[in-house]
Amino acid sequence: MTIDHLFFPSDVIMAWIFTAVSIPVVTYLILKYRKMPLIWEYLTTTNHRKIGTLYLLFGFLYFLRAGLDALFMRIQLALPENNFWVFQSDKYNELFTTHGTIMIFFVAMPMLLGLMNVAVPLQIGARDMAFPFMNALGFWLFFSGAALFNMAFLLDDAPNAGWTAYTPLSTNTYTSGQGNDYYVFGLQVSGLGTTFTAINLLVTIIRHRAPGMKLKRMPLFPWATLVTGVLIIVAFPVLTVALYLLMFDRLFGTQFFSGPEGSPVFWQHLFWIFGHPEVYILALPAFGIFSDIISTFSRKKIFGYNSMVIALCLIGFLGFMVWAHHMFTVGLGPMANTFFAITTMMIAIPTGIKVFNWLFTMRNGVIRITIPMLFALGFIPTFVMGGVTGVMLSVAAADFQFHDTYFVVAHFHYVIIGSTVLGIFAGIYYWYPKITGKILDRTLGKWHFWLFLIGFHLTFFPMHLMGLNGMPRRVYTYNRGSDLFELNFISTIGAFLMGAGMLFFAWNLFKTHRSAQIVSNDPWGGRSLEWAVSSPSPEHPFEEKVPVVERRDSFWYSMQEQGKTEETEHRRPGPIAVKTIQPFIIAMLMMPLCIGLIYGWWWLAVMSGILLLGMFFVRMMTDERKQLYLSQGGG
Amino acid sequence: MKKVTFILSFLFLTGCSELRVFQPISEAGREQAFLIKYGFWLMMIVLLVVTVLYVRFVIKYKETAKNKEDVPSEIDSNLKLELSWTIFPILILIALAIPTVMITYENSPSAYTKEEGIDIFVTARQFSWEFEYETGLSSVNELIVPVGETAVLHLTSDDVIHSFWVPEFGGKQDAIPGKEIVYTITPEQVGTYMGQCAEFCGIEHTKMEFTAKVVSMQEYNEFLTGNDDQEEEGGK
Repeated sequence: MTIDHLFFPSDVIMAWIFTAVSIPVVTYLILKYRKMPLIWEYLTTTNHRKIGTLYLLFGFLYFLRAGLDALFMRIQLALPENNFWVFQSDKYNELFTTHGTIMIFFVAMPMLLGLMNVAVPLQIGARDMAFPFMNALGFWLFFSGAALFNMAFLLDDAPNAGWTAYTPLSTNTYTSGQGNDYYVFGLQVSGLGTTFTAINLLVTIIRHRAPGMKLKRMPLFPWATLVTGVLIIVAFPVLTVALYLLMFDRLFGTQFFSGPEGSPVFWQHLFWIFGHPEVYILALPAFGIFSDIISTFSRKKIFGYNSMVIALCLIGFLGFMVWAHHMFTVGLGPMANTFFAITTMMIAIPTGIKVFNWLFTMRNGVIRITIPMLFALGFIPTFVMGGVTGVMLSVAAADFQFHDTYFVVAHFHYVIIGSTVLGIFAGIYYWYPKITGKILDRTLGKWHFWLFLIGFHLTFFPMHLMGLNGMPRRVYTYNRGSDLFELNFISTIGAFLMGAGMLFFAWNLFKTHRSAQIVSNDPWGGRSLEWAVSSPSPEHPFEEKVPVVERRDSFWYSMQEQGKTEETEHRRPGPIAVKTIQPFIIAMLMMPLCIGLIYGWWWLAVMSGILLLGMFFVRMMTDERKQLYLSQGGG
Repeated sequence: MKKVTFILSFLFLTGCSELRVFQPISEAGREQAFLIKYGFWLMMIVLLVVTVLYVRFVIKYKETAKNKEDVPSEIDSNLKLELSWTIFPILILIALAIPTVMITYENSPSAYTKEEGIDIFVTARQFSWEFEYETGLSSVNELIVPVGETAVLHLTSDDVIHSFWVPEFGGKQDAIPGKEIVYTITPEQVGTYMGQCAEFCGIEHTKMEFTAKVVSMQEYNEFLTGNDDQEEEGGK
């Protein structure tokens, strides 16, 4: 045993020191500013805006953590045959695994779900999400799954098989530590939360629209949410099944993905049957956000509303028929390769329709360049660049060259950052008045946008060329004289510009938080119903005054014509708001349950399981309606 | 300055001879390079149309002091326009799909051998490549193939999934445990090329490199009979 076995590597020690210092500091600040009641408020809330805020807050924290992973990777790759800190070999593998997994599951998805939580009920005139208790549970399950996943790093056992966790590498034969168990359980728990939230969003949209808000009168963000909800409900169970099988392979010695009966390729099929719809789960909500923003800031209704809705549905549907384009080099044979090449190309058609509709929404309009609109304007060309490389990748024979190189890395960052991340930023700037009652600073917003966008193109454009020049992805270095240094160096500079952009954003949040301004209901001249309620949105919107919707963008037209909105005095039943700590406890119990399973501490797993069942029983016995009826004088 | 032209050359993709993918030494590699360029140019048409419209609309309809209070007239949709941006992309995609189907159908490796040639058995394992030739001779991390002859590589893996890739030969093919996949290559040019594992396979994935030497038939025969003791890594 060498000295290395006795101690953690220095990055883990740094993380421990950081944790050890920040816990007392944060505790001190909480006590000093008397924030305990606020924290309790958020632990027990079931209000859609507050849960949305929590989603956004923790999504942002994980964004910083996974962004730091990205910067470490870029420093390691800045020079050929570089040895930066500890990030070579296994440590580098851990970096790109946690970067990818966290960015997809614990940043992009929760932040989009957060924006949906904040905006969708208001946009359709609902009083809250359909199932407030389940909404809180969905968030806390994400929180608990993400915390579990991140814990692995502090134990120097971070997952290291890539975010795709291809078998047999991810089975315990080849990665025997506990790292990939954390991957399995972290995703399983947070995936459960995502599924709950998707069901909740679907039911909210189907059942809780304001009078007159027909589906065809809905703004496009709720439409995108509706389609995304369906995608989640169909795709996530596939991931759940895949993770279950992997869990059995890793913990209980089954051989689904190896051995004579099993096959490692099964995992790839299952993973991508989930994974490709997942891409659209990330992209469609962003399309919805941009549709609303472009329409608002062009002062025009969206061009070709019907084809926009049809395109959303078509993309969602085709998204399930293309998974094997991630597997062109597996050797599925000419028939499968050709079929999946053609279906993949077909997705370009509805996507193209959307792009042209956005452009023609701006045509003949009055384009106000606010910060949300700036992000939308950055989105269109960036996303189209990612889209065209997507079509290039669909050409199966050409993909034999592109596959698993930096060309692919460039492509998916162009589409995911280009649509999802820019969409999340646009959405945050756009709906910030509804979340906090304040508007984010314009100058700092511009700094954030330009640094991030320029940094983005500097980082990822050269990656196309690296790929064509023979650089595979997921390598921690490259040889001197392989003609890759200049491109990599430019890319690293770009990554730091993006990081600087994020600092401006964080500064903006802080500065806006300190300012005292409170804006009016409708600071942007909006078109949909969220601008009819006060900023920040009240706990019980649309309770007394129920809006009546007579056409699409009804709010905008009635404000133009009468200066007020149509309302009815007929109150309608709505979801019952409660304060309860139960969702938090249920989600937190998942942690010892999973840790018990990961380390084979069966007593812990069994005990937490029993407590969890007990919590289900408590929940079963609680009827929120009873209290409400009693308080209303019934009996 | 060399690098500037290098990057610009990608934008115009005419003289991008420096990028390895565009220096193919086999028929399959040339076809793939053609598809990449062809797809790129078709997509440039799309990108150009979008960019022109985008720049024009943003400049022309930007808010000014004059139009600040205007409420633009509403346009619901326009069937002609919408049909044009549905049909036009379909035509472009058909133009792309035809050569894609033709070349993909021909080029996709599978588990069955179609072509006759020199059989070489390739075994990938963490983190090296073993090449076994018809005579039973084998070499590690050095593949030797004769120029102008079809080599039939039988790819398999001892442990996890790896991927065989020499950019100049053409596209990559995964090596999967418990399964044999056939990858054929007819190199047309003598030389030494760098190959690398392209599927993440564990701790030292980065270092799983090999060299592919394309040699004359005479040299290849000498290598097989063991006359050239430099190449030999030991018989099996």
